[in-house]
Amino acid sequence: MSKRSHYPTYDVMKEKDEWDNHTQQIVSNRLHPTTSYSFLTQEESTILQTICKQLTGDERESLILYILDHIDQTLSSPIGEGQRKVGMPKAKELIRLGLEALEQTSQEKYQISFVQLDKKTQLLLLNQLSNEQALTSKWNFVPQRELFKKLLTLTLEAYYSHPLVWSEIGYGGPAYPRGYVRTQLGQLDPWEAQPEDE
Amino acid sequence: MNRKYENEEVDVVIVGAGAAGGVLAHELSKAKMKVVVLDAGPMRDPQKDFASDELTMKNLGWQDTRIVDGQDPLTMGHNNSGRGVGGGTVHFTGVFLRFHDVDFKARTIDGVAEDWPISYEDIAPYYDKIENEIAVSGPKYFPWGNFHGPYPYPEREPLSPNAYMFQNGCEKLGIESTVAPLAILSAPFEGRPPCINRGFCNQGCMPDAKFSTLIVHIPKAIDEGAEVLPDCMVTRVLMNNQGKAAGVEFIHQGKTHQQKAKLVILSAYVVETPRLLFNSANAQFPDGLANSSGWVGKAFMTHSSHDVYGKFNQEIRLYKGTPVLATTQAFYRTDANRNFVRGYTLHAHGARPVEFVNGISKSNEGFLWGAKLRETMLNYNYYGRITLVGEVLPNEKNTITLVEEKDEYGLPLAKVTFSFSDNDLQLISHAVKTMKEIIKAADGKPEFVVPDTAHLMGGCRMGDNPTSSVVNSFGQTHDISNLFICDASTFVTSGGGNPTNTVMALAARTADYIKQEMRARNL
Repeated sequence: MSKRSHYPTYDVMKEKDEWDNHTQQIVSNRLHPTTSYSFLTQEESTILQTICKQLTGDERESLILYILDHIDQTLSSPIGEGQRKVGMPKAKELIRLGLEALEQTSQEKYQISFVQLDKKTQLLLLNQLSNEQALTSKWNFVPQRELFKKLLTLTLEAYYSHPLVWSEIGYGGPAYPRGYVRTQLGQLDPWEAQPEDE
Repeated sequence: MNRKYENEEVDVVIVGAGAAGGVLAHELSKAKMKVVVLDAGPMRDPQKDFASDELTMKNLGWQDTRIVDGQDPLTMGHNNSGRGVGGGTVHFTGVFLRFHDVDFKARTIDGVAEDWPISYEDIAPYYDKIENEIAVSGPKYFPWGNFHGPYPYPEREPLSPNAYMFQNGCEKLGIESTVAPLAILSAPFEGRPPCINRGFCNQGCMPDAKFSTLIVHIPKAIDEGAEVLPDCMVTRVLMNNQGKAAGVEFIHQGKTHQQKAKLVILSAYVVETPRLLFNSANAQFPDGLANSSGWVGKAFMTHSSHDVYGKFNQEIRLYKGTPVLATTQAFYRTDANRNFVRGYTLHAHGARPVEFVNGISKSNEGFLWGAKLRETMLNYNYYGRITLVGEVLPNEKNTITLVEEKDEYGLPLAKVTFSFSDNDLQLISHAVKTMKEIIKAADGKPEFVVPDTAHLMGGCRMGDNPTSSVVNSFGQTHDISNLFICDASTFVTSGGGNPTNTVMALAARTADYIKQEMRARNL
């Protein structure tokens, strides 16, 4: 990444004691993701980790494992998926079939596993997927754009819920019971991320 | 499950404890009726069950799967529905607008849609009542529509940085804007504190500064003797052999129960109300209850709700403060100089990181991900946002129907079919242009246009003619006199502003009618 955070020394977790207990507990747990999955298989989780690194542009393991934890929890939960386009497979199937098709595409085109491809080729394949161009017969049964969107949504909603990332982007994070006092343009409460740009 | 009226016929059973259900429960129990309210979701405690976190609080939306179809398949869930006692009011932005007189007369004025069977004057006293009841805060003078204030409580102060950005942009362009009327307190009221600008309205208000029926109407209804049963999914309206509603059947923790009632009111919102009517079909009503007109599930609407994100040289910090604090309705009414009829509202609209990234990663500019997205997100604090609430015209082809696939209760899933009309699309493109101009005038650079929708209205529309509408203006179904529908599904048009105030005002009007008809023994 060529650019850097405007707030390199800001750490949202330093404010944790100011948050209500429920929120503290939720956010703190994100720092300790589980690695035992109930939906994802070993193989799937390996491919998915590689995909998540590409989608987020971030290789840090602690973050990627938290995303995997979130995706596994979502896919193993009985809660619905909000909406599903007519004729599309259920989210669980979509991800399962999609990961399989991606792996087979890699094997067919490059004779090695997706996770072993160099990063540029991984990126190329994901790009093709997002443009519905990952052309092999494996994709006849998997709606590529839907798959890409689903992976992107699941990955990003977790990544941008992680306190490490909140610190990096200068997000104030949880704000109860404290709230905000100084809200004019250009004003900051003392505990907010202070820009450190030169 | 402990029940008050298990073997008893109550006066009223209400399905859904949301914006409308809450008002009805309160009003009818106050009138000494025996009331039972059933809600599919939980009864939450804001202090223990809410959190300052987007991901965790997604569950405030109705997440059960709906099949979506049409040219513009809708995203369903947090943007357009609620789950649990309080319904959508638990996570709405608190924007509390009235419809204008022109909203009830689209056919007469613009030759589109249908007129409502009521006019602004019919609903005005109920807007007054609801706004006073929850101490809506708002400007001393509201420039548009028929009600110009003052609001019961003073307008919010201070605003958020994004709202100031919006007001600066509007001012430079000569577009009038105001502080938004909000169901959020600007001073203490009934033991509830004023807002602390925490910004998590969409995740559930922890300080109780924002109104919801969960914390206002439902507790009052319970005090008046109403029974509120959470985690109870109503599966069927029970009918007797005289063709009258007799109560409802519902599932709680896997077990089927019944509640007998003299009057059944469906307040389950735009998808679940038609779904329940269809799923209650019997020999006498083979196409679903109250559907002799064939209009159940038809012509439902959403609001176009595109977002425009602009980048600024200075920080805005979209996370700070109540999400919507400034608004304009300068484009609300039909203007002969435009290539579309009807109009829209624009709001300065804050965003937390998950909502922000979900938007910009899938904008009209294409997918954004990987290193480029990460670099963009480093500038999260440098973006501002404006959001559209645009009128969508009713179209008979936009429907709620059923599919074969079943849910956990064994009920067919709802299918939601939606396409924008040409008029809707012209309106959107005009609004996007306006939003970009405001951002530019505020010295920002518009970068992302994110197509989105919000709210649902219609699908069981009201009307005087039983062959082309489902209910009368009080929500009483034309076909079954003791079956009422009281939620946004009775809307004839969508209006160009947030609907909650109108839903609640209509509910108060329905409550008055029911009280009067019950007293007169007509029900």
